[in-house]
Amino acid sequence: MGKRLLSLLMASAALGGFAEAKTVIHVMHQGDPGWVATYGDVAKRFEAANPDVDIELIYAPHDAYNEKFSAAVMAKQLPDIMELDAPFLANYVWSGYLQPIKPLIDQDVLDDMTESNIAQGTYPADKDLYAVGLTDSSVVLYGNRKYLDAIGARIPKGVDDAWTREEFEGYLEKLSKLDGVKWPIDTFRGYGIKTEWITYAYGPILQSAGCDLIDRETWKSVGTLDSDACVEAMTMMQTWVKNGWVVPQSSGTNQFFAEGHPAALAMGGHWFYAEAAASMKDDVVVMPLPKFGPQGASPNGTWIWGITTASENPEVAGKFISFMLKDKQFRDYARDDSAYPGLKSFAADSPLYDTGGPMAVAFEQASKTAVARPPHPAYPIITSAFMGAVDEIFNGGDVKAALSAAAEKIDEDIEDNDGYPPFDEQQ
Amino acid sequence: MSDLVLSTAQLEVKRAPSGIGSLRIVQTACILVIALVIVSPLLMLFVASLKDDRFQILADMGSFRAFWVSDPTLSNFMEVGNFSGQLAFGRYLMNSLIILAGTVGFGLVVNSMAGFVLAWGSLRGRALILSLVIALYVIPQESIIMPLVIMVSRAGITDTFAVQIVPWVASPLYIYLFYQFFAQLPKELFEAAQIDGASVFRIYRSIFLPLSLPALATVSILMGIEAWNQYLWPILVTQTDYARPIAVAIATFFGQDSIYWDRAMAASVLMMIPILALYIAFQRWFVSSFVGSAVKG
Repeated sequence: MGKRLLSLLMASAALGGFAEAKTVIHVMHQGDPGWVATYGDVAKRFEAANPDVDIELIYAPHDAYNEKFSAAVMAKQLPDIMELDAPFLANYVWSGYLQPIKPLIDQDVLDDMTESNIAQGTYPADKDLYAVGLTDSSVVLYGNRKYLDAIGARIPKGVDDAWTREEFEGYLEKLSKLDGVKWPIDTFRGYGIKTEWITYAYGPILQSAGCDLIDRETWKSVGTLDSDACVEAMTMMQTWVKNGWVVPQSSGTNQFFAEGHPAALAMGGHWFYAEAAASMKDDVVVMPLPKFGPQGASPNGTWIWGITTASENPEVAGKFISFMLKDKQFRDYARDDSAYPGLKSFAADSPLYDTGGPMAVAFEQASKTAVARPPHPAYPIITSAFMGAVDEIFNGGDVKAALSAAAEKIDEDIEDNDGYPPFDEQQ
Repeated sequence: MSDLVLSTAQLEVKRAPSGIGSLRIVQTACILVIALVIVSPLLMLFVASLKDDRFQILADMGSFRAFWVSDPTLSNFMEVGNFSGQLAFGRYLMNSLIILAGTVGFGLVVNSMAGFVLAWGSLRGRALILSLVIALYVIPQESIIMPLVIMVSRAGITDTFAVQIVPWVASPLYIYLFYQFFAQLPKELFEAAQIDGASVFRIYRSIFLPLSLPALATVSILMGIEAWNQYLWPILVTQTDYARPIAVAIATFFGQDSIYWDRAMAASVLMMIPILALYIAFQRWFVSSFVGSAVKG
């Protein structure tokens, strides 16, 4: 009797176990409350459509995301799916944390990707796709219509029509003398040096001026980041700061639409439009980034989704990513949040970025002037060295010395890692 | 001559109180200004938590409007104070309270026992152990955090309350604080209890611990603040909202693109209340602990 009862208990436990055996997919992500709720909702909808799968969301705050990722690596607790900042993709792939995603994602999603979306998810060493996203990003020049009219500034119609450096600096000078303008421009120094902002937004100024953070063929920074063109470009920015034209870091990131509108221009991300338009209505003018040299340049890249090599169920993970990127409610939330389209079908559904839309110029930049941040495994050191140099320069440091020190630091890291093979073979 | 001396003395007597009076006014004014400077960020925080427009909060920053709200609303508190949904701040607040109670509760027992043994125990190499405890204090938490992550993940206790309590219960600083307090108590107390046949544990529990209220209060407050403000550690060792504290939840409002100041401020006000209550509860002994340590020779 006792044995029979024991067998019965074991059998029922085993049956119960089989009944509850679900595939669990861990998804690590960041985001604000709206996005956190949206990810939660899409996970519930996926679970409803796939009753044999459990989606477990792991939230990590934006400012501590890299630390959380490092801890997950060390603890061997990498999730199946991770949200990652596009410029860090090369480092993650080189380190062996991400797997090629093409075979795992629905073909219609892959066919739907914009060129800059493909670029942000591609590892240049093997040209394979490792991550995909619904969105991309850009930076534009916002202007206060009243101030621009007061100085008689030309309003560019599109990217090909962007202000030249001479026009831009001439307008800054005129704006600095205009009543009501405390600072001619906000370059969002308030974001500080702990975010990607400086490399993301100021890097294109160097590229437009004819130089770069690193030579993208030899992968050497000395001779490029501290070249005459880069020194000239950073000296130009330092002069804006010295002239008192730039909103200081201590004054936050709202001076464009703060009471009295003390900043006349703002070199801000696409996400800034929602805040600025809500406060200033029709007084907001959206313009392309100025040309600081022979060609225009603008940033791209945002947080995208990859599948880790630790995933035991990559097919299910891919299925979830495809489901999420096609989910209507997910897209509706992104559209209402003025998210920058990274899929063609999403672009068609985003009137903000469509031809004639207030942010059309931002979308135009994606195909004409977007330059990705250096897609190299040394990117974490490239960005931290450059941000340190910019901070020093803005605080009155010697431009050439600061850029040379940063370039040397970058090259040293690459040498210490034997050129991050196979990147060394690309020379 | 004597008249002259007398009249001068009278003058001095008259001048003295008026001098002290104006000095007091200046002192009081200075204290008021300093108090205002200290209180103003808290006041701004509280006022902002009563505004329902995050753009308005941003626009008001840097002007006196940051200290004034024309249409106060509790909507931010209603939103962050819930116990269910994706952003269940009530749940996070409860988690923080559990972690606080666990860390301080166990911390008082463990650290006071260690301090007592180091002060009065018959250990060999007590001085060496004490030196090691003090030496441990100078090791920054950041340098051991990753090895600690590996340890707790191997122990299989990630995403639990225990992982946020156990590693922080024993602290060199608090062991030393207790040691210092116990060591200052008269030797006669210990000897008299020993003669009466009390065990070392009994002496600790029945005599020394009741006398150490100032030390207990000081450690409770310092340890409580430390446990309450833990941020990086819970991020690293928790995966879900099961045991996550409110400090991590507040970070949700500081997104990549926008900062939700309205809800962040309301959540910060809620987060402040328990630790303020802890301070008020133990304030008397906390202050006397500092005064005591300052006047003891």
